[in-house]
Amino acid sequence: MTELLVKNACVIDPLNGILLETMDIPVRDGKIVSSVSSAADVIDARGCLTLPGGIDSHSHVCGTKVNFGRYMSPEDMRAGRTARRGKMHVTSGYYVPTTFGNSYRYSTMGYTTVLEGAMAPLEARHTHEEFTATPHQDMLANTLFDGNWAIMESVRERDFKKTAAIVAWTLAAVKGYSIKLTNPGGTEAWGWGDDLSSIHDPVPNFNVTPAEIIAAMIEANELLGLPHSVHLHCNNLGKPGNYRTTLETFDLVPDKNNARQTLYATHVQFHAYGGTTWRDINSKAEEITRSVNAKPQIVMDMGQIMFGRTMTMTADGPMEFNLYCLHHNKWSNHDVELETGSGIIPVLYSKKSLVNCVMWAIGLELALLTKDPYQCLLATDNPNGAPFVKYPEIIGLLMSRRYRDEEFATLHEGTGQRTAIASIDREMDWNEIAVMTRAGQAKALGMAAQGKGHLGEGAEADIAIYPIRCHAVDPATEYRKVVEGFQKTMFTIKRGRVVARDGEVIVEGANSTFWVNPSVPEDLSVRNDPEFVRKFREYYTVRMDNYPVQDVYLPRGKCIRTEGAL
Amino acid sequence: MKAILNTGRTVPQGEAVEHKASPTYRAVVSVCYMNPVDLMELGITEGAHVAVTSRTGRIVLTTWTSEGVSRGEIFVPLGPYANHIIAPETHATGMPDFKGETVDIVPTDEPVKDVGSLMEEIGGLRYDH
Amino acid sequence: MIIKDVVCPFCGCLCDDLDVEVEGQKVIKVQNGCALAEAKFTGSGRLPAPIRRTPTGWDDVSYDDAIRETAEILVAADRPLLYGWSSTHGDAQSMGVHIAELIGGVIDNTSTVCHGPSILAIQEVGHPGCTLGQVKNRADVIVYWGCNPTEAHPRHMSRYTTFATGFFVPEAQKDRTVIVVDTRRTESAEIADEFIRIERGGDYEVLSALRAIVRGKGNVVPKMVAGVSREQLFRVAEICKKAKFGAIFFGLGLTMSAGKYKNVRNAIELTDELNRHTKFTISPLRGHGNVYGSNEVFTWITGYPYAVDFSRGIAFYNPGETTAVDILRRGECDAALIVASDPGAHFPHAAAAHLAKIPTVLIDPHMTATTPLCRIQIPCTIAGIDAEGTAYRMDGVPIRYRKVITSSYPDDADILKKIHDRIREVQGS
Repeated sequence: MTELLVKNACVIDPLNGILLETMDIPVRDGKIVSSVSSAADVIDARGCLTLPGGIDSHSHVCGTKVNFGRYMSPEDMRAGRTARRGKMHVTSGYYVPTTFGNSYRYSTMGYTTVLEGAMAPLEARHTHEEFTATPHQDMLANTLFDGNWAIMESVRERDFKKTAAIVAWTLAAVKGYSIKLTNPGGTEAWGWGDDLSSIHDPVPNFNVTPAEIIAAMIEANELLGLPHSVHLHCNNLGKPGNYRTTLETFDLVPDKNNARQTLYATHVQFHAYGGTTWRDINSKAEEITRSVNAKPQIVMDMGQIMFGRTMTMTADGPMEFNLYCLHHNKWSNHDVELETGSGIIPVLYSKKSLVNCVMWAIGLELALLTKDPYQCLLATDNPNGAPFVKYPEIIGLLMSRRYRDEEFATLHEGTGQRTAIASIDREMDWNEIAVMTRAGQAKALGMAAQGKGHLGEGAEADIAIYPIRCHAVDPATEYRKVVEGFQKTMFTIKRGRVVARDGEVIVEGANSTFWVNPSVPEDLSVRNDPEFVRKFREYYTVRMDNYPVQDVYLPRGKCIRTEGAL
Repeated sequence: MKAILNTGRTVPQGEAVEHKASPTYRAVVSVCYMNPVDLMELGITEGAHVAVTSRTGRIVLTTWTSEGVSRGEIFVPLGPYANHIIAPETHATGMPDFKGETVDIVPTDEPVKDVGSLMEEIGGLRYDH
Repeated sequence: MIIKDVVCPFCGCLCDDLDVEVEGQKVIKVQNGCALAEAKFTGSGRLPAPIRRTPTGWDDVSYDDAIRETAEILVAADRPLLYGWSSTHGDAQSMGVHIAELIGGVIDNTSTVCHGPSILAIQEVGHPGCTLGQVKNRADVIVYWGCNPTEAHPRHMSRYTTFATGFFVPEAQKDRTVIVVDTRRTESAEIADEFIRIERGGDYEVLSALRAIVRGKGNVVPKMVAGVSREQLFRVAEICKKAKFGAIFFGLGLTMSAGKYKNVRNAIELTDELNRHTKFTISPLRGHGNVYGSNEVFTWITGYPYAVDFSRGIAFYNPGETTAVDILRRGECDAALIVASDPGAHFPHAAAAHLAKIPTVLIDPHMTATTPLCRIQIPCTIAGIDAEGTAYRMDGVPIRYRKVITSSYPDDADILKKIHDRIREVQGS
């Protein structure tokens, strides 16, 4: 038995309605309890801000395309290097750091759970290997279904139960957590070098539309009772005028779940563009947030961009090719048979670029114009919009109008005409930031039930203590203190163990991977569907028996068994 | 005769690659594939030995006819024989010139050495189990 | 007993449909595999126990002694080189990187003398690729450039390309056009619809000419380019542009010939150019079963795919300087650990000779051409035969090697773990 008592913690725990209350947090064997014995180890938080461990609900940190981003970028590896020190391995890289680099930086920022934004099922083993080498965060994998042949066929047949059965088999086989759709249908079209331009375009050779795929996957998701909702990267990412597609997509979404949203729309900044070309691009954050404010069934994340160099990487292959044609930077592409695509290209977001300035403003507008912070979470689509180490700056921008104004003054002079950012007064408070960085994520991902994102009794003791005295800091004016405070915790506690202290990781990590195994009646199981088995054998280049990820890849795997309505 | 040395994989080389001390391995990687016209020009027939000399070394190989090999080129399967004469410079790429070394070829009666002997020439000691 | 769907660990194709028949602890028959697979599974010639070189011969040593001495050699070295890693699984590769990190060594893998130049090209211009099933199901034009799959990847054509049926390519041979580019008329060339024979060293020029034609600047192309006629170049460019899905595979003909990574860069840029007209992908034909895995593992731990130097504490990468052949050629390393590869056979001897001058430890199941050069050899399991673990196919698809027989040999990952732990003990860390 190990016991720990965090004393004098100034706690914000939105899911339990606790706001800046100074209290003690007793921990036993990795969980928060009501009291501990006098033999417990004691940490004195000295009245500093104490939050549930941070959760990133959309980040690209592990797997085939992330590693290819590293592989092709020695220039980035040179941009951030640390030597082996204490319990910390060597790290390299700034925007696509090595796995240990990601893990240490997240940990010292107080983040203890991360959802990998896109895992191709065929390459899942790779993602899980890197999860093991990202030892300080519990990991979850969004599993890609956007171009899945069997799924599209079942959607065409309007057989939702079959759609659900395919999802269930795949998630269990690849140890995935949730359904991810990236440019649904578009990644299949990209198999021929094409893309789709509307959610009502038919996918070549499959005769289904993105709208039908999205609707069917929402049905399947809820039939299976998955903890998270469908997680969608909308069609037409990064195209001027794409806000119409986004709004049209949001209008498809019924409200089907009382506990959480029915659709998680990711990196919406990239999907909120007005105009017709790069010349007249403008912000449509107002239209987007008007829709979201009226639809409790939708949660989004910002997809904020921050200025500087970074790497774009996504399953959205055609979008990356468009970027290549624009930038002529080095371009990688990796289509995955029967499933999805992916592309990678480095970018520089510059204040001299009006387009980039508009993008920066849109992300902030989305957050500031969304009334309920549970509906707009803080993320950069790491590293697409910016590496996650920029989160503290984003927090500063959300909390301080002065900081925004000062930044705005350094931007391209045309920014004001294309965006509304300069006229927004809202300054977020500590509670709203806590929602946007942990409570909201836990709720959206369905992870609160697993003890994530809150500090109530029975919760996992993932705790971040920041060197911030909330009562003594005015974020509106002292935003620098806020930014610095969120950059390094005094203590990051993971399952009751202090893992990082004052910016140093001090132990070897022992994370868990959460995955979902939905129950499906035998007669619906695709394993018993001869047609599914035949097509698998004929068209995949890996045998069905060699496809599932073995348990050995999840040394501390946590299986969530769901009982749906199938 | 001057020629350009090309090296690469062959199926027999691959089959024997985990039996480096075996006569089979020696037989399949100590081969010099040549265009039949070049062979004629050297005045020898398939199966005769040649000494191949580069700026780095000299090796004796058994000739073999191959229509697919261009005149002025020889092909030697990758392995310790080819590597006995390939220069270690990499032109700052890490990769030696495994394809494209210039060599000189003359007929010879000398025998083809075994792998152990080649390794002993560079300071090794054969292991006879 | 017949074990189904076994993964072949020989080449980067990682065919996973072999039926392997086992009697006791011996493989007696391999079905579906190529000649290389059969030789791999039914092979003998394994070193029975660890050996140590003496002034006059070889002594047997215990595993414990061999491991202890290896740790001492590595700790005592100022500039140790850790090389190989491609014929084993991910756990061993990962442990190798951690040892290098611990002792400030240089770690390199066999891509250094294989597709290292391809990696350099990719680091310059990226890599438009795909998984092999994408080619199998869609490609109507296949290009093999500077490679000979018939000999090096014998089932590549039947599983993934020329002879494979796919969803959109129901009649493989009829539906696909195959183009082979080589300096030799190989067996692969005999199968081609179009064989482009180029003069040795002419790859860069021919690629440039094709790029010009695809870009609509064909008027600059002379009558003959490195032995290839203008007519043929125009014909081939047209076939490629008209493809619904084209796939280029390239081999060491590009990476080892003059120009090296610049040849590969040019081929990638031709692919980029073709993507403005249709769908095209390009992929290196990776050699060893799990060589791509060594790149993957090195990359997620260190940030670099090969040639990683930890002597400064941080991970430093500079191919040409920190690559194994260069370090040996300069006589720079003062100890070496060779794992799952055979530089004695596959490095220029003028470089490999240095291994005999320094304490070299070899961890490998077989007696190899490196055996005579080493001071200690520790035999281990063979990944994919008597050990399981992860391997990455040439297209990045991770597959788990199966263990088809049980042997008394220790897994190389376990040997390395013991060396690692012993080093930590000696270092007091």
